Amino acid sequence: MSKTQTKQAPVSEAKVTVYRRMKDLPSTHLLGSGTAMCAGCGGLEALHEVYDVIGAKSIFVNAAGCMTLLSVYPFTPFRGSWLYTAMASAPAGAQGVRDALDILKQKKLMSAEEDMEVVVLTGDGSAYGMGLSSTSGAMERGLDFLYLCYDNEGYGNTGQQYSGATPHAARTATSKGEHGFAGYKKDLFSIWTAHKPAYVATVIGTEPLDLARKIEKAKSLKGPRLIIAMAPCPTGWNFDPQHTVEVGRLAVRTGIWPLKEYVDGNVVHTKVPHERVPVEEYLKLQGRFRHLFEPQRDETMLAEIQARADAYWDGVTQ
Amino acid sequence: MFRIRFHGRGGQGMKAASRILGNAFFIEDYEVQDAPRYGAERRGAPIFAYVRAGREPINERGIIRHPDLVIVADDSLVPVPGAGVMSGVDARTVILINSEESPQVWKQRLNFEGHVFTLPVETADRAELRFIGATCVGAAARLLGVIKRESLAEAIRQELADLGSDMVEINLSKALAAFDSMQAEEGRVTPAVTESAADYRPPDWIDLEFEDARASAPAIHAGATSVEVRTGLWRTLRPVIDHDRCNRCWWVCSTFCPDGAITVDSEGRPQIDYDHCKGCMICVAQCPPHAISAVSEQDAQAEEAEVAST
Repeated sequence: MSKTQTKQAPVSEAKVTVYRRMKDLPSTHLLGSGTAMCAGCGGLEALHEVYDVIGAKSIFVNAAGCMTLLSVYPFTPFRGSWLYTAMASAPAGAQGVRDALDILKQKKLMSAEEDMEVVVLTGDGSAYGMGLSSTSGAMERGLDFLYLCYDNEGYGNTGQQYSGATPHAARTATSKGEHGFAGYKKDLFSIWTAHKPAYVATVIGTEPLDLARKIEKAKSLKGPRLIIAMAPCPTGWNFDPQHTVEVGRLAVRTGIWPLKEYVDGNVVHTKVPHERVPVEEYLKLQGRFRHLFEPQRDETMLAEIQARADAYWDGVTQ
Repeated sequence: MFRIRFHGRGGQGMKAASRILGNAFFIEDYEVQDAPRYGAERRGAPIFAYVRAGREPINERGIIRHPDLVIVADDSLVPVPGAGVMSGVDARTVILINSEESPQVWKQRLNFEGHVFTLPVETADRAELRFIGATCVGAAARLLGVIKRESLAEAIRQELADLGSDMVEINLSKALAAFDSMQAEEGRVTPAVTESAADYRPPDWIDLEFEDARASAPAIHAGATSVEVRTGLWRTLRPVIDHDRCNRCWWVCSTFCPDGAITVDSEGRPQIDYDHCKGCMICVAQCPPHAISAVSEQDAQAEEAEVAST
């Protein structure tokens, strides 16, 4: 068996990024069209941007979820291989793939240039819940892999039941009551960074430059590198698909979705909304929060959600 | 037993419509099955739902092959083979179709002798699309002739309660208006005779020889084969670029298009791949100089057909 040692995050000097301005973003795309994702899918938007940076020399290990339907035999949007695992075990699948590649290299059956990036792709249902244990194990073993979670804040593939990523007060198929979801969105970023992996970042497809720089940085590192992409979901969040980008931008500008990265033990916010837009501008675009505005405004809940966003940013010093 | 098949696109409320109709039958003391068909389909893709209702226990299961009533929420689905709108339809099947074309036109197009009814619903505004389900179910209830107006209203109130009272009221008014508009056609749909298992005749099977896995499930050695799937069929609105207004920005449209359906040539001119564009309209909403506009897919296709014929 090849040994993957626990690696300390390498000290990353500030490298010169190839993505300095919008015009540096790719204008041709690697991910194939014709997938079964919904029109206006925020997760697919993030994935195609991510894939342009990762490149074709990659193997995707996909846990059950919406994106299971990316590759349905004989069709695939990827240029490389794809492995499908059960919901809880994508990082374990990635370990097997990584080990196999390492053995091939060891036996000189594959050159170092032919090596591939092993990428775990899961939704929030797996990342925040069922797959958390195997992710923790993979980080513990220092597995050299990239993890991309498309977070649409619910089990979207089966009709948007709530998950560990569902925000407080959101209506889902399993939180239909007067006040929506009673729980709170888990802080997966902090859970992951507590493992001290090489890299953790939050991204969103509607901030493509920030996203490209983070994937570029993740690609330059070794060890466990984990990315959470917030994925505005027209179907599950109930908004017109043309508003995917608008909803995503407001998630950042209201401070609901902080863009940040963890590297070398430090958390850095990469895009601080200095004049934060009130959270209700974000909430009112989405049917899952309609009960906060109709038939009458739920001032208590709106104030609570605003206070949580404010409290988060009050704690950010930079 | 009545067998009713719904055809629509994901997001048009056909699943809700089938539940409302099923519930209305239930209120009328029928035995009922209502089931949407789940698959890999997504918002915009063709979807199906089925309702069976009878006075006797229903032993039949699965998809409805020979419907008594076919409800089509979106007439652009009719020519789509995967939607199977005309599958198993015979002369006694009633077809209810949301279309601005007349029933006569549809009879001719489909070479169909039976009853066709149309519901002219304005579809130019996509926000209105979500009420098509209510309109269809209202008209269907009257065509079936066994569902009372108040049972339909009660079913809508029960099924849509979660959406809030405003949405219930809009759906109610749409459904009841459609119910009233079909007064002259009450009871057009007749229940099929339930077949007995004793009369079952198996289809003419063709036996195919067993092939080994290399032939029946070959490995794929090509990348990005998904382009063979024409998701452009999902589209009800079409984004059209005005190249004179396009200011060759940093390809906002191409970056934000989730489906990679917009490519930019070496001169910075974006081109939309209509074989794959699903019609989400993100590009229309995001284009900085507003150089992309949304047109009805049907109108665009009609125009293309006209250009092709001249």
